[in-house]
Amino acid sequence: MNHTQTSIKLRTGNQMIAEGAVKAGCRFFAGYPITPASGIYKSMIELLQRKGDLAISSPDEISALAYCVGASLRGYKAMTATSGPGWALMIETVQYALMTETPLVIAMVQRLGPSTGGATQGAQGDVLLTEFCTSGGYTIPVLCPSTPLECYELTVLAFSWAELLRTPVVILTDKEVGMTTESVNYEQLQLLHAAERISHLQKPTNGRDKAKTYEFSRLSDIPKFAPVGGMLKVTATGSAHNKSGELKKNDAETLEVLHHLEEKIKRRKDGLAIVKRDVEPEANTLLISYGITARAMEEAIHIARKQGRKVSGLHLLTLFPVPEKQILNSLGQVKRVVIAEENLSGQYRSVISHLMKTQEVVGINKIGSMITPQEILKEVL
Amino acid sequence: MTTTMTTPATFMVENCAMPFCKGCGHSHVLRKLNDALTKLQIPPSKVNLVTDIGCIGLADAMFETPHTVHTTHGRSTAFATGIELADSVLSDSKLKTIVLIGDGGAMIGLLHLVNAALLNADVTVLLCNNFLFGMTGGQHSAFSPLEFITPTTPDGNIIPPIDMCRVMMDARAEYVARKLATDKDLGEVIAEAIQHPGFAMVEIVELCTEHATGKNELTGNEIRNVIEEQGQEFGILSSATSRAEFGVLYADKNPRDQAYASEKGDDGIIPQYQSTLKQQVGIVIAGSAGERVQSAAKKLCEAAVVSNLHCTQKNDNPVTQGSGFSLSEVIISPNEIFYTGIETPDAVIVVSEDGMNELHEKHLLDRLTKSTVLILDSSLMKPHTEANIIEYPFRKEFGGAKAAMKAIEFYVKQSEVFPVEALAPVT
Repeated sequence: MNHTQTSIKLRTGNQMIAEGAVKAGCRFFAGYPITPASGIYKSMIELLQRKGDLAISSPDEISALAYCVGASLRGYKAMTATSGPGWALMIETVQYALMTETPLVIAMVQRLGPSTGGATQGAQGDVLLTEFCTSGGYTIPVLCPSTPLECYELTVLAFSWAELLRTPVVILTDKEVGMTTESVNYEQLQLLHAAERISHLQKPTNGRDKAKTYEFSRLSDIPKFAPVGGMLKVTATGSAHNKSGELKKNDAETLEVLHHLEEKIKRRKDGLAIVKRDVEPEANTLLISYGITARAMEEAIHIARKQGRKVSGLHLLTLFPVPEKQILNSLGQVKRVVIAEENLSGQYRSVISHLMKTQEVVGINKIGSMITPQEILKEVL
Repeated sequence: MTTTMTTPATFMVENCAMPFCKGCGHSHVLRKLNDALTKLQIPPSKVNLVTDIGCIGLADAMFETPHTVHTTHGRSTAFATGIELADSVLSDSKLKTIVLIGDGGAMIGLLHLVNAALLNADVTVLLCNNFLFGMTGGQHSAFSPLEFITPTTPDGNIIPPIDMCRVMMDARAEYVARKLATDKDLGEVIAEAIQHPGFAMVEIVELCTEHATGKNELTGNEIRNVIEEQGQEFGILSSATSRAEFGVLYADKNPRDQAYASEKGDDGIIPQYQSTLKQQVGIVIAGSAGERVQSAAKKLCEAAVVSNLHCTQKNDNPVTQGSGFSLSEVIISPNEIFYTGIETPDAVIVVSEDGMNELHEKHLLDRLTKSTVLILDSSLMKPHTEANIIEYPFRKEFGGAKAAMKAIEFYVKQSEVFPVEALAPVT
């Protein structure tokens, strides 16, 4: 009995996202109820209100995200949580956050779609909707936890990325990760500290100094932040703008800003990739999965090896920017790549299959219930 | 830190040329806003202009020193609310947030205006109503008067205009005014609105000289009559201060206590027993809503953790939550649990008719094997199954509310998945 002092709590993924957010220094949450994400809303109300921080209801998801953007512009770490139908309403404001380089974290707990779909059914059908929601197709970092522990850790990380990159970041889970209660060993929680946004020095000025709201020298540089309400004047806009935040049409500097928005993410993509690799050199099959389905994959690998079969696995903890290097490095000598995900069209498969030049690419796809380890095992060579 | 701030003579760009059409009311509004800010002697770093889309959204560039946030169509009040709530609760810097929005934006963002008013967020909204969408060709808006002719109402508008002042007052806004852009005292009214603690809205009626005149034979002098003829009043329609603003009420309810440990009163469970369980076990518990099925399943999980086991729990019930079946799926395991579903349960516990019906519905009983233990309340009809059925009158003996917990206790004793004492601290 070595574990007598170990403290274990029963927690859902939703609760652990909330705890991770508070750990990361989130001080503002605006929520609108939606199954299966409501647990995050409830937990944030509990956790933030008792500290005197701000957790409030909003009259709809559009307001929820706009309130968060406002709080972040004022200088505070902010988060909201939703599911597919709420995300559909938030897309306008996600784009605004991206364009204004406003740090923000959104927890997206997927359910079965389209439309209202199935409120209490899990799914991984919003992968493409989440990522490709901006006019112009800009990259939104997406982290994808599969356990309560990962929910906590990746949420802390999501805040770091949002703050350092000055951009909206999504934590993508689903009903099964969000609402399943699990025993969580708190001693296994990594001691994580979230980063703070890099800000301009605030000094009193008799005149009125302006922050160049979007100043950078190299395209991939992250502009220093100045809060609305601080000593430096902020000029922010969701319209095309120059580095000073002035609305402009198609001049060279404005186009440069539009390039910069993508370049600051793209240039860092290898560092924004987290995967769990479980590679056997002689395996013929590489299984790739993410989120709740990655757990079925891990169990399938466990069973296969017990049966003496060789198989490799790649569990993606980040989906975007696409961890290309990590995927390519995992291919080795495999003949077949099997990508398991709980949607019909193989959404993530369509994003990465071009990386597999010589391998056969197979999808395991299903909706209505979790993909089982047995269903994955069938596709192992 | 002492901050010396000279109050500037103007907040605007020096000699700024207004981008608006000749005679447009927007130029008046911005100059009067500048007069108000100058009069109030607010340091420019404490002024935040949040602008909407449309001609009025060009205001940002006219202001040299305040913060400016140019937003999306209709959403300006929502962004402003977020900035203001964070400011008042988290920093209390007394930032003055002022929204500039047109009549088109006000209708798209009606919900945001209503909610800001309900919250009594300290935001001042200047609604520039020129009856139409000027920037896109003069299409009619929800504020267009009856019979108003626009490219989208070529034969005259047949929909009555909204009375936004009345809507705001119904949303409990305490400072509400309607003015003409050309009113001499507009600057004073704007200043009063900005100073008002809590939400304030001033509807400023103006003339779009590009689109509203021509076919409507409308002049600046006539718009007062147009408004009054549609039963809408001018002047300060409300200037009460009967309720505190949101930030004040929130801080009263939620005093600052950053040291509050997030785990206060929740130290977790410390394993005390050792289970002899060798492999993962899946248990399905089914009963009726309101009969503590899911909380009994949670106690099973807690006891499993006390016994040094891993566990997962999934709950299911109809969306109404308080009627019909209630179901929990619990996995307990000596090892880490990967897949959280139960394909073939090792044990099924059914304590009510609702629960039984749901298991039939899910075809779960068809999946049972000889090695499954099916613990049934004696009141229920035995299903056709290969499972090993054990009956006990849980309901009769302990009542509906305790049946699930007692059946779980029975299962733990019978299966020896962990020491039954582990249930004691939790039951």
